[in-house]
Amino acid sequence: MSTLQERTREYRELFHNLAAKVKEAKEVEELHQLFLGRKKGYLTLLFEELKNLLPEERKSAGKALNEFKEEIQKLLTELEEKCQTQKPVRLVEDLTLPGKKLYWGSPHPITLFQREIERIFISMGFSVEEGPEIETDYYNFEALNFPPHHPARDSWDTLYINDKLLLRTHTSPVQVRVMEKKKPPIRIIIPGKVFRRETPDPTHLPMFYQVEGLVVDKGITFAHLKGTLEYFLKALFGEKIKLRFRPSFFPFTEPSAEVDIECIVCSGQDSNCRVCGGSGWKEILGAGMVDPQVFKNVNINPEKYSGWAFGLGIDRTAMLAFQIPEIRYFYENDLRFLRQFNRR
Amino acid sequence: MKISYAWLKEFIDLNISPEELASCLNQIGLMVESVEKNEGDTVYEIETYANRPDTLGHLGVAREIATLLDLLLKEKKWPLVELDEPTSDFIDLQIMDGQLCPRYCGLVVKGVKVGSSPEWLRKRIEAIGLRPINNVVDVSNYVCFSLGQPIHTFDLNKLNGAKIIVRKARKGETIRTLEGSLVELSPEMLVIADEARPVAIAGVIGGEESGITNETRDVFIESANFNPVSIRLTAKKLGLSTDASYRFERGADINAGPLAALMAASLLCGFGGRVSRGLLDVYPNQKKTKTILLRLKRIAQLLGVDIPADFVVKTLTGLGLRLKEQQKNVWAVEIPSFRVDLEREADLIEEVARFYGYDKIPSEVTPVKSFELPSDRKRERIWRLKEILFHHGFDEVINFSFADPEKEKIWQTGRNPIQLKNPISSRSSILRTSLLPGLMENAAWNFNREAEGVHIFEVGNTYFWEEEDVHKEKLNLGILTTGIRETQTWKEPKKETDFFVLKGAVESLFSYLAFDWRSFESANHAFFEAGQGLQILLKNEPVGYLGVLKTAIARSYQFELPVYCAEIDLSVLLDRQPKSFTFTAIAKFPRTSRDLSFLVDANIFYREIHRQLQKLNVPYLEGFEVYDRFQGKSIPPDKVSFSVRFFFRHQARTLQTEEVDRSMLDILSQLKSSLKIQLR
Repeated sequence: MSTLQERTREYRELFHNLAAKVKEAKEVEELHQLFLGRKKGYLTLLFEELKNLLPEERKSAGKALNEFKEEIQKLLTELEEKCQTQKPVRLVEDLTLPGKKLYWGSPHPITLFQREIERIFISMGFSVEEGPEIETDYYNFEALNFPPHHPARDSWDTLYINDKLLLRTHTSPVQVRVMEKKKPPIRIIIPGKVFRRETPDPTHLPMFYQVEGLVVDKGITFAHLKGTLEYFLKALFGEKIKLRFRPSFFPFTEPSAEVDIECIVCSGQDSNCRVCGGSGWKEILGAGMVDPQVFKNVNINPEKYSGWAFGLGIDRTAMLAFQIPEIRYFYENDLRFLRQFNRR
Repeated sequence: MKISYAWLKEFIDLNISPEELASCLNQIGLMVESVEKNEGDTVYEIETYANRPDTLGHLGVAREIATLLDLLLKEKKWPLVELDEPTSDFIDLQIMDGQLCPRYCGLVVKGVKVGSSPEWLRKRIEAIGLRPINNVVDVSNYVCFSLGQPIHTFDLNKLNGAKIIVRKARKGETIRTLEGSLVELSPEMLVIADEARPVAIAGVIGGEESGITNETRDVFIESANFNPVSIRLTAKKLGLSTDASYRFERGADINAGPLAALMAASLLCGFGGRVSRGLLDVYPNQKKTKTILLRLKRIAQLLGVDIPADFVVKTLTGLGLRLKEQQKNVWAVEIPSFRVDLEREADLIEEVARFYGYDKIPSEVTPVKSFELPSDRKRERIWRLKEILFHHGFDEVINFSFADPEKEKIWQTGRNPIQLKNPISSRSSILRTSLLPGLMENAAWNFNREAEGVHIFEVGNTYFWEEEDVHKEKLNLGILTTGIRETQTWKEPKKETDFFVLKGAVESLFSYLAFDWRSFESANHAFFEAGQGLQILLKNEPVGYLGVLKTAIARSYQFELPVYCAEIDLSVLLDRQPKSFTFTAIAKFPRTSRDLSFLVDANIFYREIHRQLQKLNVPYLEGFEVYDRFQGKSIPPDKVSFSVRFFFRHQARTLQTEEVDRSMLDILSQLKSSLKIQLR
C-alpha cells in the first residue's frame, strides 16, 4: 500500500489533469465535489486517514494535505472566474424601441369618481348604503315631504312603471329606508343610479348618478353640515377651492342650502367662461337640515334628534372636475373616452 | 323672474349700488342668474322657488331687501275717480265652485281711453322682458309684476248679460284665447263665463272675444284667487304656462286681490277711467292666520350658532311676521297670508339663518360618537371583481337601464320585461332584462369608430317581472370580447380574442370568489350558437352563462366578427359567504413532473378527461395541467391528442425516480381503462 504522501502526489496529478479540461462552471462544481465533497471527496478521505498515522508523521503529512487543499481551492476559484467571464452576454440590439405594453382595463369615470367620493366619506367614519332603483311613490316622494301635487311628482318629471312603482328620482328614498330600520346615530352616504324624465341635452340625461349623505344624531347642527361639506369639497377639488353656501329650497330639508364652488376653469376671471358663464361660481350640491316632517315619517323625534343631508350629482361633478363638456359621453361608452381614465 | 332695480325703488329707498344689490339678493337665496343693464336701469334674472310665490312680484323682493338692509317699505296711495253707481250695478257675479275659487274681487272702470302706455309704464313692461301692448293690458301686467297677484281685464260690454259666472267648463266647450288659438275645454277645468260662453280660462288665460281692444271703453277688472292644483292641472293639460298660471299654481296671496284691483283701477283713472263704487269682494270662507311657536334655544340647536333675540325679532318683523313673546325668548309668530311656505318652526329658523347669512355660521366637524363595522364587504368585493377584469384587459362601461323592446326581442332573454308608463321614447320604453344587448350596442358603436377590438364589462341591475306584480332587480355582470386583443408590435404579431380569453376571466372571478364547488356545463341558451354555450353552476344552481353569440344576433347590429360573451348573476354570488381564507404551508421538498401525450376518440371533450384525471388515485400525484390539444394529419382522423403534465411530490422527503415511474404506470393503466387512451 502506497503511503499517504504518494497518494497525495497521485491525486494532485489527477486534479491538474482534470482541471486542464474544465470549460464550464458546472464542471468546476463537479471537480469541487470530487475532491472536496463533504463525505466522499478524495481530499476529505485523505484527511480522514491522518488519524491512523503516528504523531510525528501526522504533522508533515497534514501540512502537505493542507497545502494541497489550498492549491485546489485557489485553482478552483480561478477556474470559476474564468468560466464566468467566458459566458456570452445577450445584448439588446436597440434599447430605443418602444416597450411591451400590457393593457390594463379602464374603470368607468363614474365608478372612479364615485369611489373617490366614497373614500373621503369613509375616512370620516361614514358607511355606504344602497337601495332599490325601482321605488314606490311613498319612499320617493311622500316620506320625503313632497306635497301630493308637487311638480316633481307628475309624469313630466318622473318615470313611472305603474300607479305604485316608479324609477327613483334621487337616492333619498334610501335615507328613509335606513332611518326606518336603524335608530340614530346614523352616518351614511348613498351613491346610486337615479332617473328623471329629461330630454337629453348636453347637461341632462334621463339617467345619472347621485350621492347623498345623511347624519342623524343628538345635537347635529348646520355648522356641522358646513364643516363636513367644506372638508369634503376640499378633499375632492383641492385645498385652495373657494366655497359659497347660499339659501335654497328642498322639500326634505329645512333650512336648505346650495353650495357653489369657485369656477375651477376660470376662477371668476373670464366673463365668457364656458363652464360658469362668467359668474365665477358653479353650483355643486344641495344640502340642508333634515326636515322635521321627514323625521316624523320615520318615527324619529325631531325634538330629540337633528340631522343634515346633502345630495350631489356625480356625473356633473365629474364633468366639472375632468372638464368634460357633455354628459352623454358617460353613457356612449366610446373607448376613446373611457380609456383616458386609465390614467387617473 | 326678472327684477328691475328702478322698479324696486318704487317700494324702497335703495341706498346701495346695483352691484351691491346683486350680492344682497344672492345672500338671501334669491340667486342672481344674470344681470342686464339698459337705459339707466339694471335688471336681474333671479332664481325663485316653487314655495315662494311672494317673490314673484317686486313688492315681495323689496320686502326681503328692506329686511336685509333695515329699510322701510313705502306705503303707496291709490286714489280713485269714482262713479256714483256701485259695482253690482254693472256686473252680476256668481261663484259656482268656491273650492276652486276661494276669493273673487272685481271693479268696473268706465270710459277708459285705450291707447299706448306712457313712457314710465312702457319702461317697466320692457324691463321685465314683455312687449307693451296697450295701456290697459300694460297696467294689468304692471300690477301682476308689482304685487305678484295676476289680474285680468275684460271688455265689460262684451260680457253677455253683464254676468260673470265662475264655474267648471262644460263638455265640448271651446274658447279662442288671447294667443289666438282655439282650445277645447274639459269638465274639470275652471272657467270664467258670461251668460253665454266661457270668456276666460280661470287663472290661465283670457278669451279673445272678451279681451281689450282699441274700441274698448269700459273695463271689468278681475282680481281673484284660484286653487293652485286646479290651475296647475289645467295649464299642464293645455300646455299653456302663463305669468298668471305660474303664480296661481304656486299659491298666490289670498289677501292680495283687493289691493291689486284698486291699484289697477287707480292707474286706469289716469287714462280717463272712472271707477264703480265699492269693491266687489266675494270671500266666504276666510282663511285663519297661521301661528307658529319659535324658541330662540332651538335656533341655536339647529344652526350651531347663538343668534341674538333682537336680530330674530327684527328680521321676522321686517318680513311681515308678527311676534308675540310668550315667555322669555319664546314667541308665537303670526304668519302673513303671502308667506304660504312658512308652516313650522324650522321654516322660521331658515328665515333667521338666511338673513343672518350662511357665511356667518361657523364650520365645525360633525362629531362621531361610535364607529360601525360595515355590514358586509359586498361593495369591496364588487370592486375586486372589477379589478380582476381590468387586469384581464376589460374596460368598464355603464349603459342606460332602458332598453328597446324591439332589440330585446332579438335576444329572447326569457324574462318578462318591465314597461315604463311614460317612456321618453318608444326605443327606451322597457327596462333591460339583460346586460348583453347594451354591451353588443357598445361593441357595434366602437367598431364604427376606429376600434378593432372591444373587451368590455358592465356591473349593473337588470329588471323584470318575476311574477305578475312582483318586480325584481338583479345585479348582474356582463362581459363581452370581440376582435383584436393585442395589436401588432415590432416584437409580436397581432392577437385575436377568443372564447378562452373570456373563460379565463370568468375562471379568475370565480377563483377570487372562492366558492367550493362550481362547474361549467354545456347548455343551450337563446344567446348562443347551438352547442357553443356553457352554463355556470354553483352546487346545482345556475349562476351565469358564457358562449359564442349567435351570428344572427350579432348581424342585427351589422356585426360580422365572432362575439364571446358572458352574463353572471352577482346578486346570488355576493349573498353567499365565500370560504374563509387561510394560508397553505409551502412545500419543503421539490416536485417532479412527467409529461404524457395520448390519443382519445375525437368526440371526447376535455371536461371528460379532466373528470377522469381528477378521479385518479395515484400516490404522490399533486396536480396536472393540459398543455396541448391537437387534431391533424399525423394522427388518425377520429382521434384527438392531448398532452398532460403531471406533478408529483412527497411532503416529507425527495421522491425517488422509481417511485414517480411507478405512479406514471398507474396513471397510464387507469386512463387506459377509463378513457381508452392510446399512447402517442
